[in-house]
Amino acid sequence: MKRHLLIYSIYLLCGLFLTINVLAQEPNLRDYRMRFRFKTVKLHDNSRILEAHFIAANKKDRKDRVPIYDASIAFYNVFEDGEVLLGTANTSKEGFAQITLPESHRYRVDSDGKINLKAVFSGTDGLDGKEREISIRDLYLDLDLVQVDSINTVLVSAYTLDSLGAESPLAEETDIIIAIEGMLSKMVLDEGTIEEGKYEFEMPTDLPGDMDGNITVYSTIEDHDEFGDVIQKKTEKWGVVDNHVKEETNHLWSEAAPIWMYVVLSIFLVGIWANFLYTAINLFLIKKEGKQLELETEK
Amino acid sequence: MTDLDVRKKELAKEFLPMLLKSTKWSKIWTGVLVGFILWGLIALVLQIINGHGVTGMRDNVVWGIYIINFIFFVCLSYSGAFISGVLHFFNTPWKNSVSRIIEIVTVVSLIIGPVFILLCIGRLDRLHYLFLYPRIQSPITWDVIAIITDLIGCFIYLYLTFIPDFAILRDNSIGAPRWRKKLYKFLAIGYYDTPKQRKRLHSITRIMSAMIIALAIVAYTVLAWIFSLTLQPGWNSTIFAPYFIVAGLYSGVGVIIIIMYLIRKYLKLEHYIRKVHFIGAGVILLVISLLFGYFTFSEYFARWFSHKTTDANLLDTLFNTYFWEFIFANYIGVLVPIVILFFKRFRTIKSITFAAVIAVLGLWLNRYLIVVPTLETPYIPIQDTRPEFIHYSATWIEWALSFAGIAAFVLFFMLLIRLVPIIPMSGIINYEREKKKNSKPLAQQQLP
Amino acid sequence: MKDDKTTPSGTNRRKFLKMGLLSGATTVAGASLLANLASEEELKASGEKIRVLTADGKMVEVDAESINKYPEAHITPEESRMGIPGRKFVMVIDLAKCKNARNCVESCQKAHQLDHNEEFLKIHLIQDHEEADPYWFPKPCYHCDEPPCVTVCPTGATFKRDDGIVLVDNDRCIGCKFCITSCPYSARQFNWSHKPKFDDTSQPYSPETSVPGTEGTVTKCVFCPDMLRQGKLPHCVTACPMGVIYFGDKNEDMVTNGEETVRFSELINDRGGYRHLEHLGTKPSVYYLPPVNRQFPLERGFDVDEDIIERYRDVPFVQDLKEQGKI
Repeated sequence: MKRHLLIYSIYLLCGLFLTINVLAQEPNLRDYRMRFRFKTVKLHDNSRILEAHFIAANKKDRKDRVPIYDASIAFYNVFEDGEVLLGTANTSKEGFAQITLPESHRYRVDSDGKINLKAVFSGTDGLDGKEREISIRDLYLDLDLVQVDSINTVLVSAYTLDSLGAESPLAEETDIIIAIEGMLSKMVLDEGTIEEGKYEFEMPTDLPGDMDGNITVYSTIEDHDEFGDVIQKKTEKWGVVDNHVKEETNHLWSEAAPIWMYVVLSIFLVGIWANFLYTAINLFLIKKEGKQLELETEK
Repeated sequence: MTDLDVRKKELAKEFLPMLLKSTKWSKIWTGVLVGFILWGLIALVLQIINGHGVTGMRDNVVWGIYIINFIFFVCLSYSGAFISGVLHFFNTPWKNSVSRIIEIVTVVSLIIGPVFILLCIGRLDRLHYLFLYPRIQSPITWDVIAIITDLIGCFIYLYLTFIPDFAILRDNSIGAPRWRKKLYKFLAIGYYDTPKQRKRLHSITRIMSAMIIALAIVAYTVLAWIFSLTLQPGWNSTIFAPYFIVAGLYSGVGVIIIIMYLIRKYLKLEHYIRKVHFIGAGVILLVISLLFGYFTFSEYFARWFSHKTTDANLLDTLFNTYFWEFIFANYIGVLVPIVILFFKRFRTIKSITFAAVIAVLGLWLNRYLIVVPTLETPYIPIQDTRPEFIHYSATWIEWALSFAGIAAFVLFFMLLIRLVPIIPMSGIINYEREKKKNSKPLAQQQLP
Repeated sequence: MKDDKTTPSGTNRRKFLKMGLLSGATTVAGASLLANLASEEELKASGEKIRVLTADGKMVEVDAESINKYPEAHITPEESRMGIPGRKFVMVIDLAKCKNARNCVESCQKAHQLDHNEEFLKIHLIQDHEEADPYWFPKPCYHCDEPPCVTVCPTGATFKRDDGIVLVDNDRCIGCKFCITSCPYSARQFNWSHKPKFDDTSQPYSPETSVPGTEGTVTKCVFCPDMLRQGKLPHCVTACPMGVIYFGDKNEDMVTNGEETVRFSELINDRGGYRHLEHLGTKPSVYYLPPVNRQFPLERGFDVDEDIIERYRDVPFVQDLKEQGKI
């Protein structure tokens, strides 16, 4: 505490000489609130990402957010009798630490059938330890792209597996997002609610899709208290195939010019140079005649 | 034939001293001109070392007085070619006094002009890319082709008109140094003025003179297209090609009058370059100044009358920022020559020359007003740019190189008239021959 | 699509980058949508150096992840002429949202190693007519479909690719500046003098970044194809705090401002999208949404440095404001 006080008074002194701006660049950790977030994302291939995000947010300046870099985060699977270390990762320059668990990973579940996961930053001299625990159920999303009465339909079914491996449809209503993949981002087509484990969405018919007319559809449950993030995707050739390939023609701006330009230019040049050549030949003839004349006079 | 040889000898005697002797004044002049050229060379070295940052050109006004000089000199050349071609093709009777001046102007300005466009180019070390990766859609490519073709054409044509004089000089240069004799012998390529040779030379010169007219028109047009094919408000004009032809002729005739005046005065050729020639050239200048004024008026009047936003902005710039330049270029530069040349009693050698000087200066400024204010008034008004990038003013580097260009023009001209007489001797002989032929029937007609 | 998760080996990834097939969803970038966006934001907020807190609680500055380097794929001038297959890039700028925050300008300057006074993207203050209030008008290169600059280039140094992007090859450019005068939008700049940054060879030259620059050649906004190849948005798009700039592939009919992704055709048709100076026939790839229902008062745009305000001194509206003492 005394050290902090000292630092504080030094800052105060500095403040007399320096502008506020400079002071802001020499921040006091006490102005920052540490934010430690933990979430899990289940991907389309049923692998699972555990991701912790660790940043310091300025209490006064909302824009001032500093990531914590190279902090070691340990991820645990917690259960009634103890916990298993799943892996550790260090935070990136953006403050993210991430591990990916394959589909084959067997999680230990608690009596409710929930997976308890924990991310722990054990703390250092400078920073207090942090820990965040989430409890999720392993939700499966099935995505089917089918034609129902010749209408392209997205069918989503959500279910969980009990300990015996039997599917049981998701009972509660859950928000779901249907999106399609683009080159640079995903475009949300629909936001709806899964009811009784099912969701149905009619695809628009005029989406172009990619070069081959393929459309990749994503169904996503985002930030759910019980399931975390769950993502599923599937691709179908549902795009309105528009032949993007344009016929190659000669433009003013293309590498090759419109044909008539070559023709006109050639005519011009051939005409003019033929005349130059004709002149040169005649000059040569004059020279020849001159030579003959010189020879005659010498004789 | 002996008659002719005697006359040739006479003429050679008359003109040889001009070629051989250098006066005190010509020496001083040469020194001054070389000084200007050296000054320009220093500027050039600075520009090459430090880049185009040393010029006044910036992101908005990317072309400055270099391109104005380029247009000026190249148009001068085209107009020279055009006039000379016309004089030859129609065998104008008084052409002798001026034809050589015009031919030399044509070639010299066509050598100087392209140098100025080279000064605009950021990477001279890559100039050969124009031929390595040509794109024939680009008006620059057309211009490169047009200038090269025109340059070659003009050289051939000039040479054709020189051959008979070289032959006379070869046969009659008594007292000239050996190298000069050898040079004349080489350049005369065995021309002995035999009827056969004369006929052959006459026919190819005639074809070339027609070709030169066509080339000049094409080259003028292509030059104007560099501007008028863009979308810029002040440039995108359908009349630009003929406008450039007329403007080029205006400056061309003006420069020729000025040179005629200087040569008459300093080489004492009052016998050959007479008042009648000045009046003839003055009347042509009058006609062209009327045409030029008409084109200028049409160009700006249409913009003013229809006042599209962008055109109105341009006129606003012209009448505010460039008020005096505009008044000088498009009022004084047109009206003063018209007034001087219109009234017979104003037509003296000095006043005609004065009118020519006004015309040439006005035209240079007119070109400046076509290039710079347009670039300062683009479609999207200049904003969010550092202040020093908004307006253009030429730096000493650009002025030094411009004056070096003018100096080089004069110097080359002086050097060329030390090689061949400024009045074509062969022309005088031809003229006298024609006169003799025609005088008989004329005399017969007059008798009864 | 089964092997989506497996990261292709080095050379494959390089090839992918070159083809521009590496879209957001394919590899690492797709791991977490949220994480990806957040990281972009962090990068933008910092610039070349970013501030981080070490695990020991020390605030330090570290090099940001190289914003604009080709760790794996360098696109040579020859390759950059091809374009990303099957794409046709468009930009939509929502004028209602722009408040001259200038983040786009600054991020662009950082990414393309431009000086404070050089800008590929300018913000104009435009007034359509006397009755209309002026509005802020970001102006990048329009990457026209009938580009006059490409037409007039005598050496083919500037070219239009199949994906609609117009680039300048600084190795080919002879610096005749004809393209600058032929562009009705004043989108091009010239490197007037040599600068020390041109000698920086840490990054091989590519027309796709126009870095490093070359003295005596023309340069301009490039639409950041280097970012596009990585499935990322151009710097100006991600930098904008207001989401003013949408960018995307017209063939896909999707544009995004980094936050929301919308159908290009719907955006244009529902909100009266237009192209600036359409009557010139240049067919720009940049569209504007009219400044209706503006989100900020215009004056917010003058919340910038004095020297930036000076850049608008010739605008009559600004002169009025100055007379009233509002600036």
